[in-house]
Amino acid sequence: MPKLKPQSRFLLRGSVLLVCLLSLWWFLLLSPMLSMLKGAAGAFLLIQENPSGDWTLRVPLEKTLPATPEQPVAQQVHSIDFDIPRSDVIAFTFSLPVYWAIILAAPGVRRNLRPLLVGTVVMAAVEVAMLLVFAEISARGTAAQLAGGEDAVGKWARQFGGYLLASVLPYATPFVVALWLHRGLRTEIFPWSSAVEAPASAPPVDRAQGRRSKMRRP
Amino acid sequence: MTWNVTLCYHSNLIHIRPLRFVCIFVCSLLIGFGVLVTPQAQSVTGRFSRALVSVSHGLIQMCGGHATQNGAILRAPGGFAVEMRDGCNAVNVTILLCSAVLAFPATWRMKAAGLLAGIAIIQAVNIFRFVTLFYLGQYSMTWFDFAHAYLWESLIMLDTMVVFWFWVTRVLRAGAAPHAEA
Repeated sequence: MPKLKPQSRFLLRGSVLLVCLLSLWWFLLLSPMLSMLKGAAGAFLLIQENPSGDWTLRVPLEKTLPATPEQPVAQQVHSIDFDIPRSDVIAFTFSLPVYWAIILAAPGVRRNLRPLLVGTVVMAAVEVAMLLVFAEISARGTAAQLAGGEDAVGKWARQFGGYLLASVLPYATPFVVALWLHRGLRTEIFPWSSAVEAPASAPPVDRAQGRRSKMRRP
Repeated sequence: MTWNVTLCYHSNLIHIRPLRFVCIFVCSLLIGFGVLVTPQAQSVTGRFSRALVSVSHGLIQMCGGHATQNGAILRAPGGFAVEMRDGCNAVNVTILLCSAVLAFPATWRMKAAGLLAGIAIIQAVNIFRFVTLFYLGQYSMTWFDFAHAYLWESLIMLDTMVVFWFWVTRVLRAGAAPHAEA
């Protein structure tokens, strides 16, 4: 049987692990992970879970709503309440199994333990941060709608932030964190990583060799 | 002391490249996604999505399957219909690949070749994904939701990373590598 290229091996192992770990997450880990996410984000926001599984978030936000023909007196708002469907909340937990799949598919099984543990903590923190930023963007969007007269730049910025948080970061972050924490994977893909990291661990070269290498430089 | 000076010089020189890569990658990414959410870009991606659905429809018919197309919607004879919306057309991963390729130090010729081949591979995988989701949705909506929102998105991201990795290896072999430029 011909030996596979490292890229093909990584793709095959990664695909199989993604199917297995995402299935495990979907059927077993989802509810406990949602509870943990609620507990962690609950330190910053008031979160209530409805019987349907949707979340009601209360985001503290100080805003003065201007007077309108229907509401002749200006109103001071201290917080914004809004619902997030369960299907949207789930997106803030799924980066973790994706991260595990990438790390376990990376070359060097024995070297994977440390990035797996450190990365799990990092990814969990990133997921909580993404939910908090998403809540803040949604609250500001709701407040802008209530105030009326949304400015074009603000609307674009909220759409941009919302798009990044919903369609890009949950999928891309596990790969970025894996490349950041897994030295073996990083050096395989980016050739400069090995050159940067080698001097730190390598023993000092002898003087004659050092002089020769210095002379070769432009 | 000579070896010490040499190491410092070497270390400073190569530290520039990862930083340069990250800066260009992040800037390209933000510009790409910033443009993507504008109404002008949305109408272009809408047309692109309809073109992808036409290709998927053609493939299904070519293989003996039955489906009808209505714009960006593909409908099965049993009533199930799937629409290719923004985010399902793999434009987001294409922007990621383009940013990574543009940020990596290589010749413009290699970058152009990498972009063309990479986009073609990603879109081929995406059409396969759309067709499988079309059939999966007729079988089970629970499995459709899982595969649509999570599994296939992650697999396409993994494919994009591997495509970039293959391209980097080819760049290094061709001698257009960062080491050759130094």
